[in-house]
Amino acid sequence: MQNVLPQQAGLTVSNVIYRYTAVKQTPDDMLVHVQNQNVDAPGFIFRETDDWSGIPGNTINKVVPVNNIPGELWGDGSIEVEGKGTVTNASVFYSFQFEPCFDPQSNPSCPGYQDPFEMMMEEVKVYDPLDDSLIQDELDRKANLRDEDEELRQQRRAMAEGKKEDRLESILSIVNTALLTAEAQAKAAELINMNFIPQSYYQSIPDNKYEEKIVLKGGDIPDNKRGRRVGFAQQLLHEKMVDSQYNN
Amino acid sequence: MFKKSLAVLATIIGMNAAAEEVMITGTVASKCVITTDTVGVYGNPTPSELSTAPADGGVLPIVRYDVLQANFYKARITYPESFSESPGLSDVVTWTGEVTVAEVTDAGMSAYDTNKVEFNNVTEVDLTIAGSTWFQIESTADYGVGKAFPAGTYRAVVSADCIAL
Repeated sequence: MQNVLPQQAGLTVSNVIYRYTAVKQTPDDMLVHVQNQNVDAPGFIFRETDDWSGIPGNTINKVVPVNNIPGELWGDGSIEVEGKGTVTNASVFYSFQFEPCFDPQSNPSCPGYQDPFEMMMEEVKVYDPLDDSLIQDELDRKANLRDEDEELRQQRRAMAEGKKEDRLESILSIVNTALLTAEAQAKAAELINMNFIPQSYYQSIPDNKYEEKIVLKGGDIPDNKRGRRVGFAQQLLHEKMVDSQYNN
Repeated sequence: MFKKSLAVLATIIGMNAAAEEVMITGTVASKCVITTDTVGVYGNPTPSELSTAPADGGVLPIVRYDVLQANFYKARITYPESFSESPGLSDVVTWTGEVTVAEVTDAGMSAYDTNKVEFNNVTEVDLTIAGSTWFQIESTADYGVGKAFPAGTYRAVVSADCIAL
């Protein structure tokens, strides 16, 4: 049936209309089968039998409803005669209909239509390696090791800091005890009395405004004539250099 | 006094009596439909003969009977025995005809040809199978004894009826 029915998805056959003339002698037995093979299963998808036994032959024009059988199930068709007699002028027609929304994506107006772009976006799955169980296990393992290292480090740090604190405390304890001694206090007072400590440590600096006191007499500074000569020579040399690139 | 009482009683009864008429309607659509499939044409093989046979240059008229219910109707087809329109004819016209089954929608209808009843110019067929049957009517008119038909237009009518059994 590939060359009879259009190759269109959603096509269903609703009626088979056939016509032929049975040529026979009236007393003879004759069965005529109009049939189509089933593509999906052994046997026929359609088979209609006309019994002409004991009756005169004639032309039959028959419409057989087939209740919308999908087009892709229809196999090769044939007319088979059982008994005595022949079939002439045979023709078989298939009345079919096409369901335009069989594939909802064929038309945006079809129910169930989905925007292809949205579908594409849904289909694109970003692979996050962190979701991989193997990688996650490895990361967990490393994290555990790091935690263990961190704990060890913290323990070491705690131990080291404990030692430092001990040393500082011991030093401070020495200083404090030294300061607490009367001898040290006397020495500190002596240092202050000797002005060993700069005055600025305990005297405020005046915040007065210092005005410009230097005055230029005449107010006119003449140009240096020798300098002008040098400047002119430099200008000449500069122009000579600039012109040299155009002379060649 | 008695007459008066009777009259009053009758009046009371008359006042209490009531009547209603309820309408029932229904429509029956025929389950037998006759359709002209092909209009016939007379051929003129010889000057004295008019015939619908294709061999004589004519066209057989065909009528189709569509029966939705089997065994409820019979077809009655009458081939013509006179012209409905013709030039003036001074001699006798001899009519012959035949009604046969031309096409069927069920093989069993082919038996109508053997089971039909023919009398005079009438053919009756019991429509025992639901479906469509095409009947073709052959009609021949012979004028006089080898006499030529006058020139002109000739018309005859085939009558096809569906009669409820």
